[in-house]
Amino acid sequence: MKKFNILDLCIEIETKTSFHCEVYDGIHGDHTILIKPNQLKPVIDVILESFEYCHLSAITVQQRNDQPDEIEVFYNFWSGSGFSLMLKLPVESAKLPSIISTIPGADFYEREAAEMFGIEFTGRNETPPLLLPDDWDQGPPFIAKKEKNG
Amino acid sequence: MLNNVIQKAYRWAQKNSIWVIHFNTGGCNGCDIEILDLLTPRYDVERLGIVAQASPRHADVLLCTGPVTRQTRDGLVQIYSQMPSPKYVVAIGSCSNTGGVFVNSDTVLGGVDKALPVDIYIPGCPVRPEAIIEGLLQLREKISQNEKI
Amino acid sequence: MDKISIPIGPQHPLLKEPLSMMVDIAGEKVLGGSLRLGYVHRGIERLAQQRTYVQNVHLIERICGICSHVHTTAYCYAVEALLGIEIPPRAQYIRALMCELERIHSHLLWLGILAKHIGLETIFMHTWHDREMALDIMEEISGGRVSHAANQIGGVRFDLDEEHIDMIRGILKKLHSQVDGLVDIIETEPAAMARTKGVAPISPDMIKAYGVVGPVARASGVDIDLRRDAPLPPYDQLEVKVVTHPGGDAWARTFVRAEETRVSLNLCEKILEDLPEGDVSLRTPRRVPEGEVIIRAEAPRGELFYYLRSDGSDKPARLKVRTPTLATLSLLPVQLAEINVADIPVVLAGVDLCIACADR
Repeated sequence: MKKFNILDLCIEIETKTSFHCEVYDGIHGDHTILIKPNQLKPVIDVILESFEYCHLSAITVQQRNDQPDEIEVFYNFWSGSGFSLMLKLPVESAKLPSIISTIPGADFYEREAAEMFGIEFTGRNETPPLLLPDDWDQGPPFIAKKEKNG
Repeated sequence: MLNNVIQKAYRWAQKNSIWVIHFNTGGCNGCDIEILDLLTPRYDVERLGIVAQASPRHADVLLCTGPVTRQTRDGLVQIYSQMPSPKYVVAIGSCSNTGGVFVNSDTVLGGVDKALPVDIYIPGCPVRPEAIIEGLLQLREKISQNEKI
Repeated sequence: MDKISIPIGPQHPLLKEPLSMMVDIAGEKVLGGSLRLGYVHRGIERLAQQRTYVQNVHLIERICGICSHVHTTAYCYAVEALLGIEIPPRAQYIRALMCELERIHSHLLWLGILAKHIGLETIFMHTWHDREMALDIMEEISGGRVSHAANQIGGVRFDLDEEHIDMIRGILKKLHSQVDGLVDIIETEPAAMARTKGVAPISPDMIKAYGVVGPVARASGVDIDLRRDAPLPPYDQLEVKVVTHPGGDAWARTFVRAEETRVSLNLCEKILEDLPEGDVSLRTPRRVPEGEVIIRAEAPRGELFYYLRSDGSDKPARLKVRTPTLATLSLLPVQLAEINVADIPVVLAGVDLCIACADR
């Protein structure tokens, strides 16, 4: 596998989709590109074409304490080196297009992100819960509850 | 008088041929592989008459490992209800004794005694095979003194 | 033929852990299946946010009992990366030694379970008897057979002296010759080959599309191994032979895991030879500076992914774990769609399930 360079990938994406790529260098260990939710599917198509071997490692989601109105979603890939796509969504109406038509392996990760953080994935028939018990009635467990004070 | 002899014979037979069924209700597997180790040549519990069974209808003793999660609780109670009496429950490992490390998780109910009556508790994380054998020997004592049979 | 649906699980003699599958069959052919995970979901990622970094080492080890050491290794490397420290070389080598011993014990465990599912009960007994030697070594080193508590943030918890190393070398030699015998048997045994050749083949494109990792990927010819591609120290100084096989069927998966056991035994011997002198741990502060880190490690079942974010306090702000079994399980319904009913145990054994890892 040829040596990975994040700037090469940015140039590929900008050439093929005319989206501007912003590099986020907060993560030690993986190169990260910040994109908008509507850019997700075209950018993933470019990624799958650009590398001989590439797989989706995980979909990581988090809500920062200092920014409780938004959640961050990372699509972590591996192709000889690790790199990620980062998206920011509003916590109240988090919607993302589903990528299971291009990457079927994303199914479990999308289901987990949907049940744990309340993200809605459009373009798929249904998003049944993956891990939470059948009688779970407390909403997305990772989202800080608004009723709590302090 | 004859009844007494029959009872004693029955208890002797049962304590020398404990047929077990194993159910992991949500554990990490550490205790499960130590239970499987009991069947292998080094620890060899078959010499004590203990054999693992596939169906709860054939088993006398339910070996439980792992904490009881909300999702497995109904399955656990169903397995127990399918076992014929007299039946016993052995809780193996810290997680099935009390919930272990996971006790304040929102999807874990706790130890096995939140769902079933437990006869023997075997502590450890994970339990050593020698400790499981000791626990099963204590179960034999309990069976031989069981006045309900 | 009418279709009937058979439930397998959550309690089933084939399964060591609760997992619910619904398998659709018509006669002897399996049409497909679906999975219900979540029976072992204990909310580890949420629990990790309520404990300090040091307390989390104890928790993370209990995500899975079979691959417990590699979980804590990845976690400790992540915290050490945020702290900006590098642990002493002797500690790195001891971590790698325990990782390889764990890979050996996990693959021997898998080999016994596969033999049991095929019906070769004697091989199951022999394999698990020899696996006890690997557990003996781990017990001599760390005090625990299955759960070792070997790692701490800043290094490892114990040191090895010359007497220990000689004892370990002696047991490794015996284990190596036993494993050679077992691997030769399983690779040439006609019953094993008949049960596994041609069963549930997976193409490299499916592997890529489903993100399958580890021995299952290598058994379809996909050449990925994190010990070579993104080595955590000291794998950057050890030469790891990556075993692949182009077949893609259950036989290829058997071959890859069996040969990997041999490779791991050679690696253990090399690690003991090259063990550098020095300390085995560093003192570390309780509070971890702000930052985010991603660490990948090669667990016995494949790529283990850890994302850790710290907000400057002594508790993690977010810990995300993606275990290799979760990726491999997504392929299981597809694998079930082309086999006979009698092959279901062989396919399940080929996946090398660790539901505790997948559900966390």
